Amino acid sequence: MKALDMVTAHVKNRLTDLRTAKKRGQKIIGYLPGGYLPEELVLASGSIPVCLARGGDHSAVEKAGAYICHWLDTFCRAQIGYGVSGDDPYYSAIDMLAVPITDNHVRGVSDVLDYNTDLELFPFGVPHMKEEATLKYYRYGITKLKEKLEEMTGTAITDEKLRDAIVLCNRERELLRDISMTRTAEKVPLGSKEFVAACHGSLVADKAFMVETLEQLSRDLRQRPAPPQKGPRVLLTGSTLAAGDYRVLDLIEDSGGVVVMEEFAEGIPPYLLEVASDGDLMGALADAYFMQRIPPAWFRPGRERLEFLIRLAKDFNVDGVVWYQLMYRESYKTESYYFNNMLKKEAGIPMLVVESDYGPSETEPLRTRIETFIDTIRR
Amino acid sequence: MAHYYDNLLFLCGFEKEEIQTEKHRIERAFAKLELGPDDMERGEQWVRTQHDIELVGVRKILRVWLLELFDLVLAKEEGKKIVYYGFPSIEGPGMAIKTAAGDGLYCSCPDAILCHTLGQIFNKINPILEAGEQNGLPPGHALCSLQQIRNGGMAMGIIPVPDLITGSSYYCDMGSKADELLHEKYGHRAVYVDGSMDSRWGEFPHIPKERVEFLGGQLNKLFETVKQELGVEVTREVWGRAMETGIELGRAVARLQQILDADPLPISSAEVELAMILPAASTGRARTEGAEAISVLCEDLKKRVESGVGVVEKGAPTVMTFLPSFSDPSIAHMMEDAGLAVKLMPASAALAMDKPEPQPTLGEEIADRQLRMGAYHSSFGVVKLIEHAVKNLEFDGFIWPYLYNCRPLALSSHFLKKWIEDTTHVPTLALEMDIYDSRSYSAGNLRTKVEAFAEMLRARKAEANI
Repeated sequence: MKALDMVTAHVKNRLTDLRTAKKRGQKIIGYLPGGYLPEELVLASGSIPVCLARGGDHSAVEKAGAYICHWLDTFCRAQIGYGVSGDDPYYSAIDMLAVPITDNHVRGVSDVLDYNTDLELFPFGVPHMKEEATLKYYRYGITKLKEKLEEMTGTAITDEKLRDAIVLCNRERELLRDISMTRTAEKVPLGSKEFVAACHGSLVADKAFMVETLEQLSRDLRQRPAPPQKGPRVLLTGSTLAAGDYRVLDLIEDSGGVVVMEEFAEGIPPYLLEVASDGDLMGALADAYFMQRIPPAWFRPGRERLEFLIRLAKDFNVDGVVWYQLMYRESYKTESYYFNNMLKKEAGIPMLVVESDYGPSETEPLRTRIETFIDTIRR
Repeated sequence: MAHYYDNLLFLCGFEKEEIQTEKHRIERAFAKLELGPDDMERGEQWVRTQHDIELVGVRKILRVWLLELFDLVLAKEEGKKIVYYGFPSIEGPGMAIKTAAGDGLYCSCPDAILCHTLGQIFNKINPILEAGEQNGLPPGHALCSLQQIRNGGMAMGIIPVPDLITGSSYYCDMGSKADELLHEKYGHRAVYVDGSMDSRWGEFPHIPKERVEFLGGQLNKLFETVKQELGVEVTREVWGRAMETGIELGRAVARLQQILDADPLPISSAEVELAMILPAASTGRARTEGAEAISVLCEDLKKRVESGVGVVEKGAPTVMTFLPSFSDPSIAHMMEDAGLAVKLMPASAALAMDKPEPQPTLGEEIADRQLRMGAYHSSFGVVKLIEHAVKNLEFDGFIWPYLYNCRPLALSSHFLKKWIEDTTHVPTLALEMDIYDSRSYSAGNLRTKVEAFAEMLRARKAEANI
């Protein structure tokens, strides 16, 4: 599709654009995915937000081995590998890396990069429960971030600038949401790989460009007849779907499955939330990003997300769920044990749990498991 | 009349009369634990080979652990309310809850008790680990083996389902998720004491007041939940009383630490561990019987020191280690066999704290004090804590036994060693291990690294003496 080609081309040139912006004096603010960094704050400071969501590459994981033991989440080790080696040019382009500390894996990335590199780190806390006190602490974290951005850029983040940024980001989320929801239809108008490409593009692309392109994509989808599909419908969920980690999508597709929805803590932007653009704007950001956001598995208890997954499975009329998690993310592993039964009991839908450490040798065993699962649910 | 467990219990410091009086409880507990005559025989052999039973104090400490095990296993049928907390966790709330509730409550870290009894005494922790693996915490994913033990213990029905479980969500993700799993399976109430270790490298000892307020508020929430569930209130006055009950035990542990300065080292770190972990694992027998048992040990050791008896040669390199094995004493013995005088990082090595600031609530008071100590503050807090201990206690080496399946520790696997060596110039061995489950990290597996480290320390020492 033309719009998606435009995203691909934009992302290809993004580093050049960022370097140019940097020369103009704009700050580039990198952040780790997870959906807890309000990009609106970065935009309102006149800076450019860039989500460092690259993954799927085992060589980066190997490079981390000189800085941390093997037992940390694969994606987090990959970030350490990219950060220390400079193999991901985004790490060299950023002026600061903001790290919403969601769990100990992400804290590991922050500590290891802070200790071993010259990167300017800015960790802030994301508590693990939705309560008044935890919301207050999250708000305290993003307020610190706001102050830091103001100090770095010399720009006051006024309500007016913040409101503009909220409106822009809301529009992007709204478009992603609308596009995603088209897949509740019997005939799915766009493939998961295409939607994921749009999501991953939105993590680094210029916001205004992205909004314009998603509007184009939305128009294209309305005009284009949906391609015929026969395969079983799949909900793909898990800890991280990194930019570049497309193997699981390929394998499901190759096996004849159709992924109609992706729910991930990291890698897919939290497009379901909407930020209020009036009243107390910092409060609105905290409310949307912390309270509205469907919590990842490292929240305790994790019931809200599991119930949400069941709703998604029903709304998208899926035949099966593929739970794709990266190695050593203990909260996902633990939930996968009892969610399987919960899903079967409440929705009568089967689930397959697959894991990856981004290893090349995993492909064929993964293929066998996925093919078998798709075959089973097809019947 | 002789019982099948007499010999083992005698070995573990029980008196004949006590066995007779406690007979019914002992038998009920062993039946629940499915420990029969064969297990007693194996346990006896294990205790004889792995513990320093010449020392009456060691036997008395083993007795305290066994009594705690009996109390744990029988708590439900003896009509007690039950509260479990995790390890590690802020020390004090468990004791305060116990103090407030009195004898009608059983409160402990059950997995630590299973490690120190079924592991250290019966050498039979593996079936429980396997049950934990089969019930939601599978092997091969670096999941916390202490949580596997708790999970397995409950799945096997050997430890009772609690009325309330409280997790250290301010430190560890795994403990809280495993508690959630148990809550899903058994339906008991779980309260998560949350927090966020979101400091930058180098920020410690600065503590933003918001962190104190947050963690303190969460501790207050725990006390509020306890009030709802158990009908007892943890006040400042209760807290004060709870701390007083631990003074004698704390003094006994401190006396033991002082004796460890002797050369040659008079006792294995495996035995010292039994004494040092007691206060963290138990709010019952540790407080009522722990101090006396440790005092007996101190008296035994004074005699050893006077006669120059040691578990390693005089002049052996001294190494400090952070955490010893909870379940398997053979790992400590392997280090001693390699010629190292191993000492555990003493509680007295805590960073010299500024005077805590007055806080509006009890929870904030506890939070402020704990965050100042480093371990719950940040990774940088941990490295500063260890740096302080290594610098001040003048060891020849430091063993950093990071638990591969404990993320808060594993994330420091590499930089902690580098930091300690850079700041103290004390050789440091980063030793990947599992202190609860030695199936993959046995003494045999770790031996080569430890022996090479010991050889290097000896060479350095010899060079320094020329």
